[in-house]
Amino acid sequence: MASGTVAVVRVAPRASRGLWGDAWRRLLRNRPALLGFVFIGVFVGTAVFAPLLAPHDPGALYPPPPDASSGATGPYPPRPEHLMGQDLQGRDEFTRVVYGARISLLVGLGSVIFGVIIGGFVGAIAGAAGGRADNVLMRVVDVLLAIPGILLAIGIVAWLDRGLPQITIAVAVTNAPIFARLLRGGLLAIRESDYVLAARSVGVPTRRLLLRHMLPNSLTPIIVAATLALATAIIDVAGLGFLGLGPPDPRTPEWGTMLTDSTKFLRAAPYLIFFPGLAIVISAVGFNLLGDGLRESLDPRLKK
Amino acid sequence: MALLSVDGLVVRFRTHEGTIHAVNGVSFDLDEGETLGIVGESGCGKSVTSLAIMRLLPKPAGRIEGGSVRFDGQDLLACSEAEMREMRGRDMAMIFQDPMTSLNPVLTIEEQMVETIQAHRKVGNEEARARAIELLTIVGIPEPENRLRAFPHQFSGGMRQRVMIAMALALAPKLLIADEPTTALDVTIQAQVLELLQRLTTETGTAAILITHDLGVVAGMTQRINVMYAGYIVEAAPTAELFAKPSHPYTVGLLHSIPRLDAVQGEELIPIEGAPPDQRRAPVGCPFAPRCAWRLPDCWTTNPPLVPVRAAEAVVTTGPGATHRVACHNSPTPGEAAAGRPLREGFVAAPPPSAVADELAVVVP
Repeated sequence: MASGTVAVVRVAPRASRGLWGDAWRRLLRNRPALLGFVFIGVFVGTAVFAPLLAPHDPGALYPPPPDASSGATGPYPPRPEHLMGQDLQGRDEFTRVVYGARISLLVGLGSVIFGVIIGGFVGAIAGAAGGRADNVLMRVVDVLLAIPGILLAIGIVAWLDRGLPQITIAVAVTNAPIFARLLRGGLLAIRESDYVLAARSVGVPTRRLLLRHMLPNSLTPIIVAATLALATAIIDVAGLGFLGLGPPDPRTPEWGTMLTDSTKFLRAAPYLIFFPGLAIVISAVGFNLLGDGLRESLDPRLKK
Repeated sequence: MALLSVDGLVVRFRTHEGTIHAVNGVSFDLDEGETLGIVGESGCGKSVTSLAIMRLLPKPAGRIEGGSVRFDGQDLLACSEAEMREMRGRDMAMIFQDPMTSLNPVLTIEEQMVETIQAHRKVGNEEARARAIELLTIVGIPEPENRLRAFPHQFSGGMRQRVMIAMALALAPKLLIADEPTTALDVTIQAQVLELLQRLTTETGTAAILITHDLGVVAGMTQRINVMYAGYIVEAAPTAELFAKPSHPYTVGLLHSIPRLDAVQGEELIPIEGAPPDQRRAPVGCPFAPRCAWRLPDCWTTNPPLVPVRAAEAVVTTGPGATHRVACHNSPTPGEAAAGRPLREGFVAAPPPSAVADELAVVVP
């Protein structure tokens, strides 16, 4: 300091970017969650870019391979023109698996969003109102949770008839009680928190208290549960398809329906089971890994 | 006409394990601009009394089951929830014990301050923001324009308590209740925060109730002190008078259980033996009797009323000339208060009558 200048050293504390920024950083350090991201990327990418990826039309029938004996029927094994083989009717399996991602993503995402909305609404009312309303709503939730999910979904599809919108509703209804209970529990815990008491003590209006203070603080478990629910939704949709409750139009490439159509040829054409099955596994595992990663990175108690 | 007038307040908590008798008939008045200390150990009903005044008791367990609370000419217990919401923040505000948990972690300081202001004033965001910056400057937060955008976790405990004070005083309320405002803070920060509180309430003429278990905190801050025990006020006096002539054995015990710098060499601390009574039982007799060295047989059966220490004195409830009152059958003499134990020849604390002993199921020496 011979020159007499004073060096002002600004010691930047390790920048904290708030709750979400920190959570995001923790998530990026989580290897399984990154793998989940890759799987989900493959799944969502396939769904979005299906027309670019698929070489054929998912509904069209294609001729058997030239070396097939005359009068032979499908399925036909994989070959360069048909990478995953052809099904009983001669349709391209690869194209159908690719387009199947669209159905799964659409129905899975739709049912989770719909489920979060219904469940969130019910849970918010129960958690905010308390008392009688809470009691009645939560008993309904208990009843719904007591019924095995896939059974409930089968019942709803049987009642509403087959079709993609009906499947979406059915899976949404089976998921909604979980979200309702989670949100209610979160709200009840936060209602007793110091900062809600402090906000009430300066006269913050009830509406604002609920929407700005209580809801945002009870959303993290919902986000985690919704990610995990995407995995089960995809499996549930495929399960309904497998049980013959898939979309009524046989040309719709739905993974579960494709599986059930191929079970008769399990020995002769295992590739017809393998590829749709693999697609279901990749997408479901992807959301499961991401969901677990999110839970760890969002939970401050697990902070290392 | 007092600003705040609490009369015979009874608060009970109805829980699955039974009824908790938290506050058992508390009466006190507070004038405008006055600072009152409420002192007592954990669970004596200090916080519950203040939450009851704010009508913020946890629902549905906590109930005001008796008495009245009049504030600024209004019967608070008759107010609707909407009317109470209007008053909270504008006319009466509260500061809580733990600044680490009293701010919402997902909202910035700005959002929380602006919403407090906008809850009561029809002002635009810019105006509210300007007021928030002004408030942060007043409570001594450097670079308030930048700090406004920060989240609570980027503040230290002392800074957060300053923010809480800024929010509580944002609308210049007539009454501020500070519930152990410095308990969660470092000792060095405690003094700063207390000094800030005192300066601001004096400047704005805000009446304050300072709740604490620390007699040292109230000594320099308050004009009057209520000592609470097991949901009762057991002694009430102007601050100087209380320290000079403590007249309830519990007050004497409190004064003797804190170390003092000016203590005579070798003077020992005398802890108060035992624990506060189980408040699941409806109180019988003086609540302090089981721990009291001065108790008489009467103490086990009759709870003494809060009466002037100098008998036949007219009761003044507020101001510097407030009457020194105590609820005790056998007040310690000044000499005994100084010694911390009874000095009368052959005096033995009365043993509990057998019925009470069985019920208390405690061994009383």
